[in-house]
Amino acid sequence: MKTPAVEIRGLKKSFGKVQALDGVDLTIKQGEFLGLLGPNGAGKTTTINILTGLVIRQEGITEIFGKDTVKDYRFTRSKVGIAAQELSIDWFFPVERLLLFHAGYYGLPIKQAKNRVDKIIKKLGLEEKRGTRLRQLSGGMKRRYQLAKALVHDPDIIILDEPTAGVDVELRHELWDYLRKLHSNGKTILLTTHYIEEAELLCERVAIINKGKIIKDGSPIELTKQLGQSGLTIHVTGWDDKMKNLLDNFTFTYDEGRLHFSVLDPEKDMATIIKILTKNDCHIQNINVDKASLEDVFLDLTGERIS
Amino acid sequence: MVKVNWVGLWTLIRREVGRFFSVYRQTVLPGLISSGLYIVVFGFTLERRIDEINGVPYTLFILPGLLMMNTLTNATANTSSSMLQMKLLQQLPDILTAPLSAMEISIAYIIGGTVRGTVNGVLVMILGIVLIDMPVHSPISTVCFIVMVSWAFASMGLVLGQLSDSWDQLAMMQNFFLTPLSFLGGVFYSINMLPGWAQTISLFNPIYYMINGIRFTTLGIADTSPLTSVIMALIMTILFTTLAIGLMHSGKKIKQ
Repeated sequence: MKTPAVEIRGLKKSFGKVQALDGVDLTIKQGEFLGLLGPNGAGKTTTINILTGLVIRQEGITEIFGKDTVKDYRFTRSKVGIAAQELSIDWFFPVERLLLFHAGYYGLPIKQAKNRVDKIIKKLGLEEKRGTRLRQLSGGMKRRYQLAKALVHDPDIIILDEPTAGVDVELRHELWDYLRKLHSNGKTILLTTHYIEEAELLCERVAIINKGKIIKDGSPIELTKQLGQSGLTIHVTGWDDKMKNLLDNFTFTYDEGRLHFSVLDPEKDMATIIKILTKNDCHIQNINVDKASLEDVFLDLTGERIS
Repeated sequence: MVKVNWVGLWTLIRREVGRFFSVYRQTVLPGLISSGLYIVVFGFTLERRIDEINGVPYTLFILPGLLMMNTLTNATANTSSSMLQMKLLQQLPDILTAPLSAMEISIAYIIGGTVRGTVNGVLVMILGIVLIDMPVHSPISTVCFIVMVSWAFASMGLVLGQLSDSWDQLAMMQNFFLTPLSFLGGVFYSINMLPGWAQTISLFNPIYYMINGIRFTTLGIADTSPLTSVIMALIMTILFTTLAIGLMHSGKKIKQ
């Protein structure tokens, strides 16, 4: 079995009286795209900051490719590229120079660094902004720069902390496409987000974190199947209360021609329900399927909404 | 064997030196202009009314002190402001998440401050040579002493920058400690002109030894033995370098 890209066991951290992490356990396989989903203050940023050395670990194990992130920090940090949520500002240097510096910190000799920077600038559409100072960039361009910085040393693991926070829809979709490409090229990606859609669309696996603990993890489909009740709404005419007995295998409500079923697998259950209704002279006017989302899963687990 | 990220270290040094050179109007020219003004003001007005000190005309006497004041304030300002700025503008994570050790980060910052202190000191020295024909008794010792003092105060600046949370705090440390100590270190007077008790207090001011050290290497005169000055500079260098590296290693005020 391959060594996991990231291994976190029993990770604890408190800030004064606030227990930010209360025993986080998480394994990320090599090449996996994992989303760490949770509300603000759940412990997402603290977890990744401990992995990257920005926050001091109190208790537990954090490993990158089997090496301890504190003892073997040179190895582990060289394997990781991080795009932080907070955008940094620089008053002195233009984008290209800053990226060259960043490559240098990771030990890339100048010639190699120049090639990497050229490549990454082109890929992320920053060509026209090479000579622009960071403070003069728009919010969207700053996000691109943030991602470029994370990728400049060609890391195996990419950690993205709320990468699309505050960006417009167009750029969000562009960034998503780029992340998919990186993943298809074999990169391991850890994405923290509180955008449900982002986690559902991009991640192979989602770990839900709340109050400093991973409370559930699995693929978005598995999680919604296991925990989320999907809604099936059918508007009918010719309803007879006697039909309640025929549908007693399902959880449903009826109110003035509107039948609402809570089902685990709407695609499968819909066929059976339609069959029973039409067989008993009930006319179907329209059908709506409301698929459960990770939001429902989170709600089900914690009793709170994610955002 | 201790592994060193040489490329990373060199990159951070280049960044630190490039940073202050990119704003030379704020970091190099002001010291030169103020030193020039001191020379002009004292040279054309006060010098006629003040007797020679230790056999040296007054303007010439104060010049090594101005050189040293310029050196140490610039060395301190470079590291302290750079560190605080990196903290406040969210740039520090870029360095702390890179495969650089606490020692490499500290040394790079200190070298950046040392270069700025040295450049400023040497420029004032050249200004003195050009404007008032300042003799430089021992050019090599002078440059070496400037470098050593720059290193010591750059290390001190790094400590101050790491411990400060705001510009206000940093300014307080500089305005209430560094500037008064510089002025009271004998830039404008010889310690022998002070009453006995003030002379004793001056001996506890480390900057007094720095000013007299540079006065010796340039003019060949000093209120204290040059060896004492070198030892004091060395003690400060070792003390603040150790403190800066130790503090960086601990992550105090920069890591949670």
